Amino acid sequence: MPIRAFHSEGFRIAAIYVAIFALSAALLGVLTIVIVNEEFRDQIVQFANADIGAIRDGYRTEGVPEAKEVISQRMSTPGASDFFLLEQGRARLAGNLQPMEPQTGILTLPDPGNSPGHLILGVGAFLAPNLYIFSGSDLYRAQLTRRRILVTLSWVFAGALILAILGGTLVSRSFLRRTDMIVTTCRAIMAGNLTTRVPVRGTQDELDRLSETINAMLDRIAALMKNVTQVTNDIAHDLRTPVTHLRHRLERARERATTTEDYDKALEAAIAASDDILALFTALLRIAQIEAGARRAAFAPLDLAALLSHLRELFAPVAEDAGHTLEFALEQPLQIPGDRQLLTQLFSNLIENAIIHTPKGTRVSVTLKREGNDAMVRVSDDGPGVPPEEHHKLFQRFYRREASRTRPGFGLGLALVSAITDLHGAHLKVEAAQPRGFSISLLLPIAETWELSANNVSGG
Amino acid sequence: MKILVIEDDLETADHIGHALRAQGHEVDESFAGPDGLAKARGGKHAALIVDRMLPGMDGLSLVKQLRQEGSQTPVLFLTTMSGIDDRVAGLEGGGDDYLAKPFALAELVARVNAITRRNDQRPTMLRAADLEMDLIRREVRRAGKTVELQPQEFRLLEYMLRNASRVVTRSMLLENVWDLHFDPRTNIVETHMSRLRGKMDRGHTVELIHTIRGTGYILRAD
Repeated sequence: MPIRAFHSEGFRIAAIYVAIFALSAALLGVLTIVIVNEEFRDQIVQFANADIGAIRDGYRTEGVPEAKEVISQRMSTPGASDFFLLEQGRARLAGNLQPMEPQTGILTLPDPGNSPGHLILGVGAFLAPNLYIFSGSDLYRAQLTRRRILVTLSWVFAGALILAILGGTLVSRSFLRRTDMIVTTCRAIMAGNLTTRVPVRGTQDELDRLSETINAMLDRIAALMKNVTQVTNDIAHDLRTPVTHLRHRLERARERATTTEDYDKALEAAIAASDDILALFTALLRIAQIEAGARRAAFAPLDLAALLSHLRELFAPVAEDAGHTLEFALEQPLQIPGDRQLLTQLFSNLIENAIIHTPKGTRVSVTLKREGNDAMVRVSDDGPGVPPEEHHKLFQRFYRREASRTRPGFGLGLALVSAITDLHGAHLKVEAAQPRGFSISLLLPIAETWELSANNVSGG
Repeated sequence: MKILVIEDDLETADHIGHALRAQGHEVDESFAGPDGLAKARGGKHAALIVDRMLPGMDGLSLVKQLRQEGSQTPVLFLTTMSGIDDRVAGLEGGGDDYLAKPFALAELVARVNAITRRNDQRPTMLRAADLEMDLIRREVRRAGKTVELQPQEFRLLEYMLRNASRVVTRSMLLENVWDLHFDPRTNIVETHMSRLRGKMDRGHTVELIHTIRGTGYILRAD
């Protein structure tokens, strides 16, 4: 575990933090030392200048003896400079430094005791053409302070470094523990236990969000798997039944048919039965193909009002014969990008559903209007409606309401509607119509934003 | 008529061959793309029935090649049921009609008849017995009396008249009159047809439109 910790993201992040911290601490230390050093030098130079000022005053008023007097006073005053030299030519008149070549301004001299590391910083000036004065202090104290600051900073730095490393390790270990849980969960799922989920701590942090996303993804996969299993079973069942019936019919014909007419009948029934089976396959393949999104290439701008007007002419007599009223309220014109054939099939499907699944006398309304950036097409009826708890099942393949089981059909119509809706980046909304009945609304993007939305069906 | 069937599935080819011969046609068969192209180049066939999937050269390329060489022979494409886009590609590639497998033989025969007798002239007047359709003035008269038709009914009758004396199937009507390329669950065709017949044949002793059970309709004056 501690070795693995070095490879973890948590450790890497901790290491980067430690490095940034160390760099900034070092920078801070260097800056502190430079500033302290400058401050010390300034102070020393200031003292030296003050001393020289006092000595010069003494010299100006009472000559060399007074200057010597001031120097001896200064040398015993605390807070004044440590070193003085007053020389005339190369002869020392006062002070505790050896005579030297006069230099003016701020100077650094080696220490008289020659001890290494000791330097004298001070100011040199002429009181008179041949009268030189130097006043300065040992830099050793500044160096001492600098060293003390350096040592303190080093300790702080070392301590913080240790804390940072410790903290980083802890963070990375906790991070590792949680990623390990995700890994363990994923492995369990790979091993076949699809019900396992990543534990969520409830802290709403990044890892929690990751865990929640993974769990949501697992839920979706589980639902899809269930759907696939369901479809496979359904296909097996839905196909086995008609194939079995077909076989029974053929067997019966072989046993019982005596006349050509009997054989004709049996054959016709057999052909009709196999047509049904093939139609079921065609419907399934069509849905699969649309879901694969291959038809986007066939998208072209089309006018929904014109398309629906065509359907009105097509279905009005059909509805009338079935004892229904079919009403259209179309806002003109509304252009959208889409596949004319598939949208024709989609709306036909919805209108036919409303006609087939409602009793005589039902009013079926088709509305087209603009809603923001969408074209809204609603097909509603005032029939008996569908209980809300069944709404989400309507779009499942092979789902057939109890009441319609006896009618011909596979229960694939709305699954196809859903696939075509997805292809167009549209939304489906299923509602109970007011005051009664059933309503399906389709929201189709008018602008060509469908390229961006891949899979956004809601309520379906 | 002599018809060339280019189809690599022997059973389907055989099936089609029998049905066409039963209709009195002469049938040539080819089981691969390059061979089919060579046979079709002779130009002695009244129609080609071409499967989309063929060994050596696919059906679409074959027909494109023929069209490039200037052949006008009508072509009916056959395809497996999965291809939704195939229809458009087939028609754009030079096919005259398109039929998805599996198909009823009556459907195949009706479509072959429709493409072989396709008439590229655009007459302004269509006639059958005492029925007249004026395509310019959008008027229909039966025995001199005007028959009022809805636009859908007019289009339906126009299609029937253009294909007079030939069987038209339900799906041919759905595709060509209403541009529907799926099988509706309501009886759209029957409803519109019955309305058209009601208006057109009502009060006349001779019915022009006849139902061919299990296949479709025929407009015939006998």
